[in-house]
Parts: sequence; C-alpha cells; structure tokens
Amino acid sequence: MPAVVAADSLTKRYGKLTAVDGLSFELEAGTVTGFLGPNGAGKTTTLRMVLGLAKPTSGGALVFGEPYARLQRPALRVGAVLEATDFHPGRSGRNHLRTLARATGVPDARVDEVLRLVELDAAKNRRVKGYSLGMRQRLGLAAALLGDPELLVLDEPANGLDPEGVRWLRDFLRSFAAGGRTVLVSSHVLAEVAQTVDNVLIINRGRLVVESTLPQLTARVGGAVRVRSPQLGALREALADEGIEATETGGVLFVRGAASERVGEVAAASAIVLHELVNEGSSLEEVFLELTADREIR
Amino acid sequence: MIGQIRSEFLKIRSTRTTIGLVVGMVVLVLLFVLLTGFLSHGKELTSSEDQRSFFGIGSFASVFAALAGILVVTGEYRFGTIRPTFVFTPRRWVVVTAKYAASLLAGIVFALIGQGLTLAIGLGILSGRGIHRSLSWSSIVQLGLGTLAAAALWGGIGVGVGALVRNHIGAVVGVLVWVFVVENLLFGFVPSAGRFTPGRAQDGLTGMTTDHLLPAAAGGAVLLVWSLGLFAAGLAVTRARDVD
Repeated sequence: MPAVVAADSLTKRYGKLTAVDGLSFELEAGTVTGFLGPNGAGKTTTLRMVLGLAKPTSGGALVFGEPYARLQRPALRVGAVLEATDFHPGRSGRNHLRTLARATGVPDARVDEVLRLVELDAAKNRRVKGYSLGMRQRLGLAAALLGDPELLVLDEPANGLDPEGVRWLRDFLRSFAAGGRTVLVSSHVLAEVAQTVDNVLIINRGRLVVESTLPQLTARVGGAVRVRSPQLGALREALADEGIEATETGGVLFVRGAASERVGEVAAASAIVLHELVNEGSSLEEVFLELTADREIR
Repeated sequence: MIGQIRSEFLKIRSTRTTIGLVVGMVVLVLLFVLLTGFLSHGKELTSSEDQRSFFGIGSFASVFAALAGILVVTGEYRFGTIRPTFVFTPRRWVVVTAKYAASLLAGIVFALIGQGLTLAIGLGILSGRGIHRSLSWSSIVQLGLGTLAAAALWGGIGVGVGALVRNHIGAVVGVLVWVFVVENLLFGFVPSAGRFTPGRAQDGLTGMTTDHLLPAAAGGAVLLVWSLGLFAAGLAVTRARDVD
C-alpha cells in the first residue's frame, strides 16, 4: 500500500529564493503528524504543492500513490484547510459548504451533518461576515470533512483559537486519527500540537531538520544537568578529561550530553564537593527553538 | 462537470453580488428607456432606425453580463475561495469551463431582463404616445435574440478576462474602459478595425445599421471568437499559474 502522502525531493524556488529545498517525507496511515517550523520555513508552500495548488520547481508529492490532481473526487479522500479566511463574507456558512458539496457530489444532508459536527448548527444560515475567527476555523474544518476523508491536512488550524477551541481541536484530531485515519497538521508552535501528534516533521528554511516520533524527540531533549559546587573550575576540568562539555554561568555549571549520575561519578572520582546536582529537562519548545534557530545565521 | 456547473450557479445565487448587478442594470435600462421614450421629440422616434436604437438600449445587458462573468472568477481569488474550489476540483479546466457555462446562462438571464424590459416599456411608450411602430417584427426579433446571444457570449468574455487579470478592480475597470472608450475611439477613427471589436460585432449581430458594421452572421461569429478566445486564454493562464 502506498504511503498516504509521499514527498520526494520537493523543491520550490521563487526567483532566487528557495522556499522548499529537497524535502522528502512519508506519512503512514493512522498517524497524526505535526509539520513544524518557524513562520516562513516553507510549511504552507509544501502543503500547497502536496494539494496541487502550486507546482514544484522539481521533485514531487504523491497522495495515496498519485499526484493530487489525478485523484478522482479527491474531497472524498482528502480534506484540507489552508486558510481560516477562505470564505465569501456575504455567503452563509451553509451555502459555502453547499457549493463545495455540489462540486464533488455530496448531498446537502451531509452539509448539515458536518455543521452539527463542528457545532455551527445555530449559525449556519448567517453570513460568514458575522462569524468569529474560531467559527471560521470550524467552518473550514467542516468543508474539509464534507467528503468523510481518510486524510486531513490542516495549515495552522490553531491560529486565532481560544484555549477552549484548541482543546476542542485536539480532541477532534485524536478521535479522527483513532479510526485509522491520517492527519498532517502544521504549526509554528510545537506546544500547540505536542499533545496531539505521534510524529513530527520539523523544517527550517525549506529543509527537513528533524523527522522523528514525538517520544524520540522528547528523549532527544535530554536537557542539561545543573551543578553547584565550591570547586566549579576543578569539576569542569574533570568533566573535560572525560570528554563532557560544560558551561559556567553565574556560579552554576550546566552540563550537556551526560546524565546527572555520570556527573556525580566524575565528581566523586575527583573528590569534588557538590552542593547541588539537578536534571534540568529543557522543554520541547526549547528544543524546537534550538533546532530551528541555529540555522538562522545568514 | 454537471456538479461543478451546479456549484457555480449556487455561488452566483448565494451572494448579493449578482442581484446588485441585476438591480444596477434595471435602473440604468429604465433610466435610458424612460428618458428617451418620454423626452424625445415624436419625430425622433418615428423612423425604423430611431426605434432600432431605442430598443437597442437593452444591449446594456451585455456589459452587466461581462461584469458578472468577471466577478464569478475574481471573487474566488479576492476572498480565497479559489483554494477550496481547486482542492475539491483540482482539474482546473473543469472549474473554468463550468464558470464559463454558468456565465453564459447568467448572461442570457441578464438579457431576458434587460432587453425584455426595454422592449416591453419601449413598445408601451410608443403606443401610448401614438407613434406608429415602424420597425418590423422580424427586426425586433433579431434585436432580441441577438442581445440574448451577445450577452451570453459577453458573460463568457467576463470569465476569460477575470481569469487573465484575477484582480476584480483591474478587470472591471479594464472592461468598462474598453467598452465605453477604446471601442468607440477605434470604431470612430479606424472603423475597418473597430468593427471587429466585441461591442461593434454585437451591434452587427443585433441588426444595427450604422455604417461599417459587420453583417449579422459575421458579427455573431466575431463575438463568438472573442468569447472563446478569451476563455481559452484564461483557461491556459489558470492552469499554468500557482494559487497562493
């Protein structure tokens, strides 16, 4: 069975600017994948190429084994929300969905069904002009769900949602994927999706920086060991002899790449007094920032 | 394709844009018909040529059909609905062709209303003022059917221009300047070329008898070429360009 989405050396150049640079990845069925990177990393351009809205300069992407534009009635297999604002302000939410339903042969009954699902039932006959951003996000999601798809592609769906909306979205995505379906959700804030995703793809400047499962990424976090000692200089030398790097800031030593146990053993071997030895797990967000920041140098 | 055409019809019906255009056309047609019908001296409405240009006021329908066609396309880019539209129907030729078909039919509706009002009120005014109808029924039928066909084709021209320009202001202003300025200047100064413009081709099709105009069949053919040509160009550009 082909991967749900397979990108192969996907590249997009706009003049001299390379927005997406040789990006390759595959999505497995039944997983929620977070597509992460700072603003301008190339996430939206990648999603547009996957969905056939933009042509790759080179490379390509397959959805269910075919270029997106070749899928027959693609809305029955793929649902997508690219912008929270893609509505005619003067058209009612229900009519917006009906125009899309007609284009792909979905009955109006399904329109009312998805409106109930995203809890927009009461507002469905009002013009979109009067909708809050959260309601527009949900209307976009309703459109994506019209064809009861197996794959959901969402670009920054949490933008503009209040905390309750974010929780609603998280629960929704989890239950969607629980049925064996697949989600690709982009975000520039890891914390937003950390509780939802199984896998992460982190890109920066159009290139893939990390592709891993969330537990792997969490393990990779490791963080630093914080040490206080009256003999900091001696401890640093002892650690350096063992090939362990440490940095001193404000009378505190931060050791990276070694567990607290190891630091304690090194100290004991050199008879160094310790006043404090603490594992400081840096947050996922810090790792994310680190992974995407060190390439900011121009 | 049928589903896409139904979708395009619903898009046209489900906002106030089209209603606004219909109302605008009706106001303009009423204004010109009533002013011409009541303020003209009786002598200025007696000849068959006078009456032909009087009833020709209904040709305003074409301009409004073109505007509707433009907005059918540019509205999608302006409000971003082009993204869900193409995600649902990634074969872009299906979308553009459905818009063309829907706009042809919308053009016919514009012409039925605009030309219908013009003829009904115009004939009423003539008989009310006791002016003999000198324009033959066959000429009136040619005028009416010609306007229907022309407005339909102009709706398609609007789709082509909208797809080429994408920006609603640019496309609308461009078409208005073309219709009300460029065509008139061209026809005025170089009638041998100006008669091939879509507006003058429509005049030929509807049986207008101004000097230099094309005969009806040729006028219809030229207008058809404009409509299909701009549609083809708009389609090619739509398929080639990325959607932001």
